[in-house]
Amino acid sequence: MARYAMVIDLDRCVGCRACMEACKVENNTPEAAFWMYVFRLEEGEFPNTKLSFLPRPCMHCDNPPCVKVCPVGARYKRVDGLVATDWDRCIGCRFCEVSCPYGVNYFNWKSPKMNYYLEWGDPTVQQATNGAIPPYKNPDLDRAYGPEQRRIAGSGHLKGIIEKCTFCAHRVEVGLDPACVVNCPAFALIFGDLDDPESEVSRLIREKRTWRLLEEHGTEPRVYYVGGAPPSTEAHQIEAVKARV
Amino acid sequence: MATRLESKTLPYGVGHLTVAWYVVTAFLLAILALGLYAYSRQLGEGEIVTGMRDIGTMGGAPWGIYIAFVVYFVGVSFAGITIAGMVRLLNLEHLRPIARMAELLTVITLVLGAFSILADVGQPLRALINLPRYARPMSPFFGTFTLVIAGYLFASLVYLYLAGRRDAAIMARQDTRFGWLYRLWAAGYTDTPEERERHRRTTFWLALGILPLLLTAHSTLGFVFGLQAGRPGWFSALQAPAFVVLAGVSGTGLMIVIAAILRRALGATRELSIGVFRWLSNFLMVLTAAYLYFMVVEWLVSVYAAPSAEARVAAAVFRGDYAWIYWLSAVALVASFVILFVQYAARNHNLALAVIAGLLVNLAAIGKRYEIVIPSQTHGTLLPYGEGLYRPSWVEYSVILGLIALGVLLYMLFMKVFPIIEAPESGEVA
Repeated sequence: MARYAMVIDLDRCVGCRACMEACKVENNTPEAAFWMYVFRLEEGEFPNTKLSFLPRPCMHCDNPPCVKVCPVGARYKRVDGLVATDWDRCIGCRFCEVSCPYGVNYFNWKSPKMNYYLEWGDPTVQQATNGAIPPYKNPDLDRAYGPEQRRIAGSGHLKGIIEKCTFCAHRVEVGLDPACVVNCPAFALIFGDLDDPESEVSRLIREKRTWRLLEEHGTEPRVYYVGGAPPSTEAHQIEAVKARV
Repeated sequence: MATRLESKTLPYGVGHLTVAWYVVTAFLLAILALGLYAYSRQLGEGEIVTGMRDIGTMGGAPWGIYIAFVVYFVGVSFAGITIAGMVRLLNLEHLRPIARMAELLTVITLVLGAFSILADVGQPLRALINLPRYARPMSPFFGTFTLVIAGYLFASLVYLYLAGRRDAAIMARQDTRFGWLYRLWAAGYTDTPEERERHRRTTFWLALGILPLLLTAHSTLGFVFGLQAGRPGWFSALQAPAFVVLAGVSGTGLMIVIAAILRRALGATRELSIGVFRWLSNFLMVLTAAYLYFMVVEWLVSVYAAPSAEARVAAAVFRGDYAWIYWLSAVALVASFVILFVQYAARNHNLALAVIAGLLVNLAAIGKRYEIVIPSQTHGTLLPYGEGLYRPSWVEYSVILGLIALGVLLYMLFMKVFPIIEAPESGEVA
């Protein structure tokens, strides 16, 4: 069994947010949900300012607070390290969301057909999209995945449940890398198996100095950063996404 | 407006429907209808109609006043069964007249707490099935929902039922329209000395069993917040004990208010003597003092040398967006403590002042619950997301008001079919 992890090389990241876009397209995430998010941070005072970028997927922690608090076991840790959300079981209590120090969870505040910029139930929209399958009904993401055969992939299926980054469980299952990884133009995101000593993630973690986000909280994240530094308390966001539904 | 002639002979206004009762009921039904309408909007459109939003890029709070009121309602239930249990366990005979009022308060507020949880979750029907079906004791939610609802509410209902059998037997001897209910409730109980002794023993052990369950259930509600290392302002060993104490404060305060209203409405000045209020006031004074101590400790720890994220939440609570709620709550608590202490010291208990203190501590409790739940979400992010914002929407206010109306309504209905004050031991009906 593989042990998946991600390495994010901050020396390569140019802050273009292509990963955010790729994630939205691949997982059909609803309006204002960013499973992958890239902070554009600024610190210091003019003229001595410093700009930095920090991509933030779900950390797929080895000691995940969200899994601990889920009252129904909808949020669970897979053997391969992915932290998954069973959207067939989630009751939408949002306990995982308040327990997560990284802020990676997104709740479906609206019903699916209202949650994608257009009113998908509207006949004129259906006409304009030529009867296309609405994003929340993507059949690829509707299936059961993993050894447990639970429905964990994709987004926006139902209102009133929680969803988050899945490391593209549906792609990983067929041997593909997550969408953010393959779409990064600077090769800043690397995905692979920690159990394979020859994998690039294993090599990078072995050879480079890495750090993990909020490591001191004991969450044991599976996302390792190379280069850069954890955001200081002085860092503040510039060009934050204005996305509040 | 008396219904049937014989109803007039029933104690404490049972079966006696007055114009005022109808007016109040109609008013409460109207509020309940508003709450139901608001909730139907939420069910139809999703929780987009609330003021809650996601933590992080959306800059919101995913838990709002629904959760604050879950905590408040379940908190109030504390005092009910505590007082009823202590009457049995410590033989506080003079408090016996408020025992049933207290039991009923517990049962009703627990039901309201459960409804608030259902109002909060995104998939209420799934919640009803999945919470018991996939129950995970590892989650503090197990304590607040499964344990509180399945265990604590059930135990309290059994307690209310058992403690009421004797009155039901007495009532069943009269010909009333609720005769069937009394016979059902009494279930063969005829109040013989042996039966009475067996009941006394059963309720004693049940009370003894409920008290630790009560402490556990209320602590787990504190743990919902206290165990979250990722939320500055929540992660604290103080949460569970402070929760239990504030639960006692709000519950005892509400008990004073309810007892005072019933004393007036039922003209029960003999049963609900000033001695009852003296005991409740002093109990409330001790609990309020304990909670004020917690507040001072909490304040000192969070402003003295707190880590930066803790300090940010503390700044929001003590001098930022949430300061007015915090300080109003603090002033209300101090004011009620002063009122209660002066009464205690002067050995002169004034009913109106005790009621004011009871109301003040409840407003303070609601304010404090809000302060516990919200600021850590909007101002307690550990990554540089920036400050969040939460404003409850009219839907949330309406649902909460509807729930409060439902609670008062249930209380008033119960009073009309069953005596709210236990028949005295000597009050035999031959």
